Order: sequence, then structure tokens, then C-alpha cells
Amino acid sequence: MTNKNSKFKKNKSPFSKGLTPLQLIELDACTQCGECLKYCPVQEVTGNLAVSPPEKIRMFREFIKATEGLKAKLFNPKDIDRKLLEEFTKAVYECTTCGACSQNCTVGIFTQRLWPMLRKEMVRRGLGPVGTQAEMPGVIKKTGNPYNKPPEDRFKTWFPDDVKVYEKADIAYYAGCTGAYEAQPMVRGDIQVLNAIGEQFTMLPPEEEVCCGFPLFITGQHDMLEDLTRRLVGAYKAKGVKVLLCSCPCCVNIMARDWPVFYGKELPFKIRHITQFVADAIKHGRLHFKRGLKERIIYHDPCYLSRGVGVIDEPRAVLRSIPGIGLLEFERHGLNSRCCGAGGAARKVFHENAVAIGRLTIDEAVDKGADRLVLSCPACYVKVNEAMQGHKKQIKIVDIMELVAEIIKDKNTEFNSQESK
Amino acid sequence: MKIFLLVISYLVYAAFWGRFISHAFIWCKGTRQFRTGPLHISGVSLSLCLVTAIDLLFFRRLFNENKVLWIGSWTFHVSFILVILRHLNYFFYPVPSCITHIQPFGLVAGYILPVSLFYLLAFRIAGRKKYFSYHNFFLLGMVLLISLSGLLMRMFFSPNLVDVKSFMLGILTFRPDLLPDSSLFFIHFSLVLLLVPFLPLHIFAAPVVTMESGRREAGLRMVIHDK
Repeated sequence: MTNKNSKFKKNKSPFSKGLTPLQLIELDACTQCGECLKYCPVQEVTGNLAVSPPEKIRMFREFIKATEGLKAKLFNPKDIDRKLLEEFTKAVYECTTCGACSQNCTVGIFTQRLWPMLRKEMVRRGLGPVGTQAEMPGVIKKTGNPYNKPPEDRFKTWFPDDVKVYEKADIAYYAGCTGAYEAQPMVRGDIQVLNAIGEQFTMLPPEEEVCCGFPLFITGQHDMLEDLTRRLVGAYKAKGVKVLLCSCPCCVNIMARDWPVFYGKELPFKIRHITQFVADAIKHGRLHFKRGLKERIIYHDPCYLSRGVGVIDEPRAVLRSIPGIGLLEFERHGLNSRCCGAGGAARKVFHENAVAIGRLTIDEAVDKGADRLVLSCPACYVKVNEAMQGHKKQIKIVDIMELVAEIIKDKNTEFNSQESK
Repeated sequence: MKIFLLVISYLVYAAFWGRFISHAFIWCKGTRQFRTGPLHISGVSLSLCLVTAIDLLFFRRLFNENKVLWIGSWTFHVSFILVILRHLNYFFYPVPSCITHIQPFGLVAGYILPVSLFYLLAFRIAGRKKYFSYHNFFLLGMVLLISLSGLLMRMFFSPNLVDVKSFMLGILTFRPDLLPDSSLFFIHFSLVLLLVPFLPLHIFAAPVVTMESGRREAGLRMVIHDK
């Protein structure tokens, strides 16, 4: 009975608490035009309108109206049906938070930021997260990563033996949990390319390189975020780091956008995506290719890299600098790219959606006549590889740094860095 | 009937502002955390002002998304505003010259408004498989009825305009006057009263969000790029 009463009270409590004034205005700004549906990857594979952006906004508006609207203030706040709240929770977690709806919103609502905040509200009400996502805080607390893998194994299986990591350096490399445990060719490629450029870099010991907080942020579980941010920022600061490099767009996103908020001030170092660093090295002659690759490749923009932090030109600059390569583009690319299906921590819970979305990317890449599909995100790497299993269309999948490393490791390749050594 | 309409008018007016103010309170109540997170641009540049002005005046975002919808939507909004401005004629005595100058435009807009509404309704019905907002349909239907009744009065069943004006001025000045002897006017006015409580809040919220999105987009290249 007590439990029922507390639930009853909770369903009447305000829904606007965790949102910023602008996000509350954004909810009211939606004109319900439905134009964003054309770009929603979940709509593309499920057609489930309950998951559509305008419907989620409409439902959340109803929750606010019922608990905080004029009528609720004058009379009594309405108790919201628990089943409706559960349906909404499922819808808001089924979204991949790719932000394509935001990019194409006719009024400009920043949904890539709004959905995680609605999830946070559902967590506050005891309704979210969904499935295995709920285990993440405990697992991260125990192991430092969301995959429940031993922290001491973080770099073990993939880190090249011949690469020296300095104790202190201006540049630091953060591998990230998905790269380190699930997309090793990608992070191995990062290290090989960094080594080839010849710039000294440092890394945190495996036990200290904990989760950046993104999986917790995106699933609305914010309790540990300040602690994780302070630990990581403090550790890199102690190493005298000026630039922190990372290849995972999700990590880069939270580092650049939210770490300053959780840290309480500006970060003592810059955040850069690995393609920015490598493009700059190529531009200034610190890395060049002697061997080319006579292939047509197609590059997929990760949502949190393009729409998230605006890194669009640099990966293309890196790829175009490889002699012989023909760079193809998806119909939707750059700011308007289609999600690969792995986003928003939905890939484990809504596996079938993620695979179906991933296959759309594979199909288009094959139809365009590409020899390889180049990715730049560990989550995309894992999911698109998974999506290809048992699929009728097949294509070689490679991470951008894995590809660069593959070309430069050729014996005939000449590196400035090797000359200087 | 006159007293009833008057009471309803004031109630509708009060409810509209009550609803808006109550929402404004909700907007202000939001958390201050994450306010600085997503934005990486401060200040306002001329180009940003221009882009924002184009966004607001010409619905650039909608134009980029769907030109077929844009034609109907932009025409509807512009003609609706012109018709409202033309109607200010009935609320002022003496009538300010700017409202007098707008009359011919408002008159033309009065003919265009129902056409744009039919267009939008047809667009919505054709695309109903995608997303169906009953509220939008209701609003379009209401405005269509209001505009058609207005047009009928303009073209065929004109009420006594002096009576209409003194009735409207009577409401504004809390000195109720006689209801004009026109059932079409009664329908027209009642539909307006019915519409007001259902006016969508995006008429206030969308311009704010559009302005902010312009700033956000301009700041995207500054999130992890050197300024």
C-alpha cells in the first residue's frame, strides 16, 4: 500500500524539474509538423509512431500539462497512468538519439540534447533506464567500464608492443571503453598512426582510464558523472596534458560539451578527435603516404561527430590524402548523416532495430559501388559489423585509422618520424 | 446573449493570458544545470542576426525541409497576420494611420487565407499516413471556418460595420454595446472566442527556439575546433 501511494505521488510530481528553461520552451515550440519523421532511423525500420519525435514531445507536454498546467494549479494535479508513463519510457529509450530530427527540425529544436534529459526525468521517476542499461552504474563503479570487463585487460589485447607511451606529454590519448573492449582494430590503428606521426604522447594506466560517462549520460543516469569527470580531468592534468585525443565520437562529445559542466569550469586541456590531429599532421607534412590504395571507399559520418561536434571535413581530408582512393558519399552525409543504429545506448536493448538500421547503411554503401565502408566510431564499428552477419549484401568494413595504419605500415612507406628517430 | 458573449470574451481573454503566464512560469522553473553546456558561441554577429531574421520571417528551416509545405505554411502565416492587423481597425478609434495603410493588404490576405488553409488541409490529409496531429487539424478547421465566415460577411452578408466597431470598442472599454444584428457575425465572433484558448504555444516558443538554434549552429564549429 505504501509503495502504491508513493508511486501515486510520484506520477503527480512535476515533470519539468530536470529540464532547462530552453528545453521547456523547445517542448512547446514543436509544431507537430512531422517533417522530422523522414529522417528518424527508428521510424525507417519500425514505423512505430509512438517513437516519433513529435509524439514523444506531445506526450511529455501532456505530462507537464497534467501536473503543472493552469488546470492542475487551480484544481488538483492529475495522476498520470503508470502504463502511459511506461510506454513513453520505452519510446524515449528506443530512440538512438542520433539528432537527425534536430538537424531537420523546422523550428530548430535541439533534440540530440533533449532526449537524454527526458530519459533523466524517467530515471528520476524510477521508470528508466531499460534492460541491461540499469546495470551500468554498478558495473562502471566496479570495473571502470560499462562492459564488465577487467580493468587490467583494457589495453592488453590490442596495444602494439613496439609503441612507447610517455609518462608525461602535451598530448594524451584516451582509448575509450567501446574501442578498448569491443573495437580493438580501431584503437590499435589510432596508436599506430599516432606513433607514425612521431609526436610523444601519454596515456593513463588501464585501471585509471575509466569510462568517460557518456553511457550514463545518454541513459539518464547522472549520479556518477561528476566523480568520473573529476577523476579523469585530474589525472590528465597531473600529466601536464594540453591536448586530449580520442577517436570515439561519443566520448569526444561528452568531454567537449559536458565535462566543463561537471568539472565546474573550463577544462585545463583541449579535446580533439583523432582525425583532426591526423589531418593536421598530413597537412603539415608530419605524416604522408608513399603507398596508395586503388579503391572506392565510402565514409559514414558518426552522428555524435558530425552533428555533435562538427567534425566533418577532417576525416575526408585524411581519406582524400591517401593516393588512389576514390571517396564516395552517402546520400545523407555530413550534418545530415543517417544513424548506423548503434546510438543512444539502444543497441543492446533494441538489438533488432539497430541491426536493421545498420543494414540500411550497408545496403547503400554496396549500391553505391564502394569497395569499403569506412567508419569512425567504435559503436558504429561493432554494430555495422554485427549487422553484416547473415546479411545478403557484404562489404569490407574498416575504421578510418585502421585503414590509415594499414597503408602506412607497409615497409616502403616513409615516415618523417622514422627519419627523425 | 450580449452579456453572455461579453462574459465569455473576458473569460477567454483571461484564460489565454492565464495559460501563457502559467507556461512562462513553467519555462522559468527549469534547472540551471547544462545551461552553458551546449553553447559555444557568445555575442551576436551581423551574419547571425541576418540568418535569424531570415529564419523567422521566411521560415528558412521549413523551406529547406519541404518546399511544398512551406508555400502553404508561409502563405497561411503571413495572410493570417495581415488579416489580424486589418481587424485592428475595429479596436481603435481613431484608427492609427499604419492600420489604415495595411487595409488593402489585409483585404487581399483575407481571400488568400482560406485558400492557404485548404492547401494545408489537403497536404495534411495526403500525408496522414506519416504523422497525424488531431490538434493541428482542429486548429486548421477552426481558422478555416472563421476565415470563410469572415469572407461571407465581406462578400455577401455584410453586417453594419458601425455596430461591429462599437460592439468591439465596447468590449475593450468595458462599456458593452449592442451585439450587431448579424448571425454570421455572431458565428464568426464565437468561433474566434473558441479558437483563442486552443492557440498553440509555439507561436511564442518557436521564434525563441529558432533564434537559439541559429546560435547553436553557428557555434558548432567552435565546440572542438580552434576559435
